[in-house]
Amino acid sequence: MAEAMRATVGALLKGIDRYNPENLGTLERYVEMQLRENTYDLEANLAVLKLYQFNPTHFQSNVAAQILAKALTNLPHTDFTLCKCLINSEKHDVSPILDVMKVADLLEMCHFRELWARLNENPNLTMGVIGFEDSVRKFVCHVVSATYQTIPFVTLMELLGNVSESQVKQWITKYGWSIQPDGCVFITNQEENIKTKNITEKITFDSVAGIMAAAR
Amino acid sequence: MWSEEFVENTHYPTSGAYSYQGHGQNFDYEAHTGDPRQDLEYERQYQPQSYIVPEVIKSFIVYFHKVITEQNLYEIQNSYENGFNKLTDRFFKTSPWPDVENIAPIVNHDHLFTILYKELYFRHIYARVSSGPTLDQRFESYYNYCNLFNYILNAEGPVQLELPNQWLWDIIDEFIYQFQSFSIYRSKVQKKTDDELDILKKNPKIWNVHSVLNVLHSLVEKSSINRQLEVYTRGGDPQSVAGEFGQHSLYKMLGYFSLIGLLRLHCLLGDYYQGLKVLENIDFNKKNMYSRVPACQITTFYYVGFSYMMMRRYQDAIRSFSNILLYIQRTKQMFQNRTSLYDQISKMNEKMYTLLAICLVLHPMRIDESVHSQLREKFADKMLRMQKGERDEFQQCFSFCCPKFLSPVPPNYDSASIATYSKEPFALQLRVFLDEVNQQLLLPTIRSYLKLYTTLDLHKLANFMDTDEDELQTYLMCFKHKMKNVVWTKGTSGLTGEFQSASEVDFYIEKDMIHIADTKVARRYGDFFIRQIHKLDEIVKGLKVTAS
Repeated sequence: MAEAMRATVGALLKGIDRYNPENLGTLERYVEMQLRENTYDLEANLAVLKLYQFNPTHFQSNVAAQILAKALTNLPHTDFTLCKCLINSEKHDVSPILDVMKVADLLEMCHFRELWARLNENPNLTMGVIGFEDSVRKFVCHVVSATYQTIPFVTLMELLGNVSESQVKQWITKYGWSIQPDGCVFITNQEENIKTKNITEKITFDSVAGIMAAAR
Repeated sequence: MWSEEFVENTHYPTSGAYSYQGHGQNFDYEAHTGDPRQDLEYERQYQPQSYIVPEVIKSFIVYFHKVITEQNLYEIQNSYENGFNKLTDRFFKTSPWPDVENIAPIVNHDHLFTILYKELYFRHIYARVSSGPTLDQRFESYYNYCNLFNYILNAEGPVQLELPNQWLWDIIDEFIYQFQSFSIYRSKVQKKTDDELDILKKNPKIWNVHSVLNVLHSLVEKSSINRQLEVYTRGGDPQSVAGEFGQHSLYKMLGYFSLIGLLRLHCLLGDYYQGLKVLENIDFNKKNMYSRVPACQITTFYYVGFSYMMMRRYQDAIRSFSNILLYIQRTKQMFQNRTSLYDQISKMNEKMYTLLAICLVLHPMRIDESVHSQLREKFADKMLRMQKGERDEFQQCFSFCCPKFLSPVPPNYDSASIATYSKEPFALQLRVFLDEVNQQLLLPTIRSYLKLYTTLDLHKLANFMDTDEDELQTYLMCFKHKMKNVVWTKGTSGLTGEFQSASEVDFYIEKDMIHIADTKVARRYGDFFIRQIHKLDEIVKGLKVTAS
């Protein structure tokens, strides 16, 4: 259903018609659909925010907050920033947008433990986005795989939001990591990728041939 | 005219040689206002005596008209770039050119020529006349653009007209500039008289964002420029898909410049995604036939680079800025005798160095040697302050080098929140930028410690940072996250790319130990020697000429 909608909406957004406020209803329903069906369409969502920008009286805080929450599910991409740049700054300080902003801050600064605590306290922070928690875990795995060569199992478990042991193991399998005898999780051999680079100048003969010919 | 601001309000004595006829549309709000300056203006404009066009201006107009009618491209360019500007400096330094009513009889009321003349006439008022354009001049200029674009877009077949690329670029650029100028003017509600507000309220369609978008989109459509670019990138012949209109240089170039215009417009509205998206078919890594107007090149890279910076794609931003700064460095002499262009380019140059400085503080990496040495010379202090985490310095730099952000909608002229209205678009982008800076504020400190070691105990670094190990690992993850950016790798779309981390200092955590990889750069000599060889060559050549 969402796929069919993606095509319809894509056609709607071609050319000058993307600024037609009459499309807003359809686009807002599409946001709702993305929430429920765990799909994502940045371009359509930006078009909604653009229509709000052009027609401020149509602005709906809830929809904007949902779009922002959806954008967070696409971390580490910077979709959230792109959306933020289109929302009047006065609205940033008012719930529910304010709440999403706080969640975003925690995520962007990798304060995962604190984030999970907040989400447990107030499940509404996800703005009703289905699959929000798992998308956070995906982002956690992205950051972990960039940062660690090995990470203690317990630490990983905490970062993933204290999920059950078997769930942690599922994530480990999904990313091709392995559990070592000492209880640490081996991520990847970082030594191979992250090493000191020495950049020295290499001058090829071709690059100076012209000059040498001219200066004969 | 693509500079971002008005020429400063220097008041030269207005020459009393001639007076002005009233403009086409006389709005009734132009009665005496009680403000002496405005009343003087009013009287100056409505003195009933007729104006006689000086002979030298007359003959210039006659000639200009002739070469346009004959489509002598070389002479059009000459009249446009030299003739008009020279006469401006001589007679109209800070006062307007003669009204079109006085010019029309000289050129047999040629419809097209009067439109083109008015385009120059209003552009000159925006740039040079110290009081700036009045409200009805803004309106009239808008109508003139409508006439021009209607003439080009609504013709049955392609209009038989060619203009120099520079002029076509200036038309699109000025069109957006005047829209920008109007939006800013409109947003400053407190400074308006009730009459002015009344006029603004009654004319919501003039300089409306939809009209501006519509013009640019229409030019893009009419010229089939996107299909042309696609075919061109694939190595085919763009003419084969150009269609009836797009085959003509006028349409093709207006189409191309409109894409750049859309990039700029989207950025001014804070829509960086759309900005880069409209350029999807342009291949910047290939020398392209459209890139011969330097002002257009510079505008393109400025907005592309800025968009990347806001999208936290620092590596792409740095690449864009250093490419164009290098280009300016190498071509700057060419513009030395064209003062206004030279000034504008110098200003953009400053802005882009500032942007580059910001990006390199957030994402240190190696760049072109000669750009880097310029940067060190001028921006070392600023960069140091930003590295130390001084938010004020970030704010100042950003305010200096960002575009003039706009609100696409008119203010609610009666609402109470109008006091902050005109600042909102800038405040929003600044806030987004500073939020990002805030999230990264600790990273330079961490980087400076990491640089000193090849391995470092987590516990030890936590001590340095005055925190515990858990918190430190959070910082380190944040470091990794922020330094891993999407980087363009292939294809024409500037939006796609893959995650890379190319910043100077990198590391990974193994058990309790941080393993650090630095980038060590040996000094480069090649460029230096090549430049010296060229210099010597020129001196020797010079000596030979003097000797013979």
